[in-house]
Amino acid sequence: MKKVLLKTEGLSKSFSNGGVLQHVLKNIDLQLYEGDFTVIMGASGAGKSTLLYALSGMDTPTLGTITCGEEVISGYSSDELAVFRRRACGFVFQQIYLIDGMSVMDNVLAAGLLVNRDRKEVLARAKELLKAVDIREESWGKFPTQLSGGEAQRVGIVRALINSPRIVFADEPTGALNSKTGLDVLDTLTRFNEQGVSMVMVTHDMRSARRGNRILYLKDGAILGECDLGRYVSGDRARHEKLVAFLGEMGW
Amino acid sequence: MRKSILIAASNLRRAKGQTAAITVLILLASAMLNLGLMLSLDYKDNFVRCFDNLHDGHVTLGISARDPGMEDFLEEVFREDGRVVEYTKNDALIMEGYFSYNGGEVNTEFVIMEKETALNRPVGRMEIVEEGDEKSGIYLPMLYGADGKIAVGEDVEITIGNHTMRYRVCGFLNSAMAGSHNCAMSALLLTADKYEELEEAGYAPTSTYVSVRIRDKAESEDFEAAVKNKVSARYQSVRLLSNNYELVSSSRYISQMICAGVVSAMAFIVTLITLVVISSNVIQYVQENMKNLGALKAVGYQSRQIVAGLLLQFLGVVLLAAAAGIGLSYCLFPAVNDMMISQTGIPYRVHFLPMSCAITLCVMVGAVALVVWLSAGRIRKIEPIVALRQGVLTHSFKRNHVPLERTGAPLQLALALKTCASGMKQNVTVCTTMLVLSLVLVFSALMVENVIVDMAPFINLIVGETADSCINVRAEAEEALLERAEAEEDITKLYLYNSEEVRHVDGVALTATMAEDFSQVNNQDVCYRGRFPRFDNEVAIGAKYACERGLEIGDEITLTAEGREADYLICGFTQISNNLGKDCLLTREGYERMAAFSSISFYINLKEGTDIDGFNERMEEQLGDGMNTAINILSVIEGSARVYVSLMRVIIVAILLLSAATIAFVLYLLVRTLLNSRKRDYGILKALGFTTGQLVLQTAASFLPAVILSTIAGIVVSSLVINPLTALFLSGIGIVKCTFTVPAGLIAVSGAGMVLLAFGLACLLALRIRKIVPVDLLAGE
Repeated sequence: MKKVLLKTEGLSKSFSNGGVLQHVLKNIDLQLYEGDFTVIMGASGAGKSTLLYALSGMDTPTLGTITCGEEVISGYSSDELAVFRRRACGFVFQQIYLIDGMSVMDNVLAAGLLVNRDRKEVLARAKELLKAVDIREESWGKFPTQLSGGEAQRVGIVRALINSPRIVFADEPTGALNSKTGLDVLDTLTRFNEQGVSMVMVTHDMRSARRGNRILYLKDGAILGECDLGRYVSGDRARHEKLVAFLGEMGW
Repeated sequence: MRKSILIAASNLRRAKGQTAAITVLILLASAMLNLGLMLSLDYKDNFVRCFDNLHDGHVTLGISARDPGMEDFLEEVFREDGRVVEYTKNDALIMEGYFSYNGGEVNTEFVIMEKETALNRPVGRMEIVEEGDEKSGIYLPMLYGADGKIAVGEDVEITIGNHTMRYRVCGFLNSAMAGSHNCAMSALLLTADKYEELEEAGYAPTSTYVSVRIRDKAESEDFEAAVKNKVSARYQSVRLLSNNYELVSSSRYISQMICAGVVSAMAFIVTLITLVVISSNVIQYVQENMKNLGALKAVGYQSRQIVAGLLLQFLGVVLLAAAAGIGLSYCLFPAVNDMMISQTGIPYRVHFLPMSCAITLCVMVGAVALVVWLSAGRIRKIEPIVALRQGVLTHSFKRNHVPLERTGAPLQLALALKTCASGMKQNVTVCTTMLVLSLVLVFSALMVENVIVDMAPFINLIVGETADSCINVRAEAEEALLERAEAEEDITKLYLYNSEEVRHVDGVALTATMAEDFSQVNNQDVCYRGRFPRFDNEVAIGAKYACERGLEIGDEITLTAEGREADYLICGFTQISNNLGKDCLLTREGYERMAAFSSISFYINLKEGTDIDGFNERMEEQLGDGMNTAINILSVIEGSARVYVSLMRVIIVAILLLSAATIAFVLYLLVRTLLNSRKRDYGILKALGFTTGQLVLQTAASFLPAVILSTIAGIVVSSLVINPLTALFLSGIGIVKCTFTVPAGLIAVSGAGMVLLAFGLACLLALRIRKIVPVDLLAGE
């Protein structure tokens, strides 16, 4: 029996656009499980990113509840959400979003020291993670603009993991990368997921989606269907075909 | 031109907040500058207008004699001199006296005239500026009625010589040469019945009051000295009172000069800060818009068109803001004018002054144009392709400031220090602002300590010698006074301190003050270089006068009194502002080499808590006719000094408010610029879990190193230079060295207050961070 990590009930989100109310998410009931690599797919405008923002506490829903463990985060103030994000979540962005004025190490430590004041401990974990994603020591003092896109995204993943979050949210993490570096990033995410880190990733790329064990398909703000792919195994043809069939079913 | 206008309009649309803050700073600077200019340029001219309007005399004489021989003699002197154009002489009652005013006393020489006579003088006319229904009573100079201190219809007690008279105040008068105690004589007009009554009582000698117009007013001092020489040589026993155009035109405007100086200094400070802010703004603009500027160049815009766009943008703002600032100065001027009238005693009608407006506009426009042009220099070096490739490069990649893995500082502080270290332009602006405002702070603290809280240092500097009481006796009553004083238990110190007029050989009148032994005088700071005279052939002379005449310590000068000359060796320089620096000190024996005292003043220190007025009355009773006057010095000084104290209080409140406003607007610009340039970083930090409060404190703290260091440096340096600067500021009234107490504690507390104010304001301004939400970042901003 999988442990529920994050749960939504009747989650809805509406935006006012030029006076017209647009319902982007419609009454979503969803459970995310510990250890899963959940992938959210859907066409442009389906509400994938909006769902990710709401689940991660970056945004607040219009209606419904979001519960993480015992915490009902949907009623939190912006500062309470900030504290929730720093303690429970990690983020990997499509545009990477490292702080340009800080070195690689400082980008990681700024997130780490926010939660853990034991500088030695945070530093040791940062070094361990940076080595794990193959960022060499001579690059730790470099600025983000001095790194390649793939290196920068791997630093972004380290920053997301520095506080050992309960869940990592990744919004199109390979969207701004070429296929080779994109593959490296996906390998890194997969490896951490295999080590027990729960992942939720938004993507419209089938190659990325294959890394997930659970695929949610969103259409017009509602979950149209989901598919259990099982754990990722490199070169598993059957998994790929299952995904293709599922997406075909969803009208992808 | 059209392209430049388009660039300017686009820049203005995008930077509304910055434009508003710069507008306010320019508005404040222009208002202060125009106010300072109006006070400096036109206010003193007001004396000339008043003088011309009343057709007053360049030299005024009050002679305590009214015999036909004297009048013939004067006519002969004026005819012989050849410089006299016209003159008017009238009967008057002239006597030293005092009355209560502003919580103290005004003690001066009163020239008491019959009202209609004074109003109809061909030369030296007086005018009534306020009048009630009373038909019998007195008209006082308008100075004493300003701010409602003495009102029409009230009764006023005036002590003339040894007799106190009670009069109903019928109104107030204006006189250019005798309208204030600062003129060395103060006119009082009595209605015919009261004048006759006083004349018959014989409390004041019947005298001749003469107003003389000469061809060249620049020679008024010289003419006054020449006439006085001749009169005193011929009539050695008469009391001769006089003033001249040069002395009066300066002495009536001391307060205005101080106020104009402070306002102009503040205008300079605010303008300087505004220019630094504009410069920083332009540099920031170029840096942040590198890519856009490259694009503009790529599509054919020339550097000069882009710079012209910036110039248009700022010049448009400066023209409007400076015009509004000039308007604001005219709104403030009536209040300043009321304050000034209570100091000068001369009516001033607020009117438009094109010259000061033109100077204000030229200075502001010229300074801003120069700064924008210099700061925009980098635009000329931008290569379009390089700018387009590089895009926005707002960070220095030379160094990772405050690396988190090595610093021992807490995270928030470390991140604040990082922001601080990477924002050098921000730091330069903050440092410039805090450095100059520290000087304002130190000046304010100095004035609070030495003028408002304890006015003794200010009085010592301006007045020179002070004591509790001054008893002036006839020369023959000196022994009697000393005997009585021996028996008085309340007296702690009694010493001769008597002022007489002497003339330098060139005819310049100097106020000579004599003491038997200068080591006994209370204020030992009067002689600031060399030493007090000890021997009868020594003189300590006013530093301002010595400087004008090129006199040095060790030089020999010849002085004249009552027609007799004597040579003296200069042994020291003094600073007394009573006669605008034309002063000297002699020993009693030194003075007696030229003349004998006809009356002698003794300064008296009394035991703590002694009723000074009671003591004076007792001495008056005991000495009878031997005593001329007894003055409560403390009361007199308080009466005069309170005017300066209230002026200083207003000035300090105004400059502190202006300083706080300046800090607020500078920080507004800096915080806004910082938030705009780091919006993405704040979004990332919020996404990572930083709260709004943490980011607000981090942002405000990033200003603290520059604020604290520049405030400390500013107050230390200012504390060291404030006394010389104050002396320079007061040099016009003969002050050369200022030894005000620098209140270290008050300055430290005020400095801490200024730092806290800056931090608090930065926190408030950084609250805009709460509007930055991480979801905008995810949505691609």
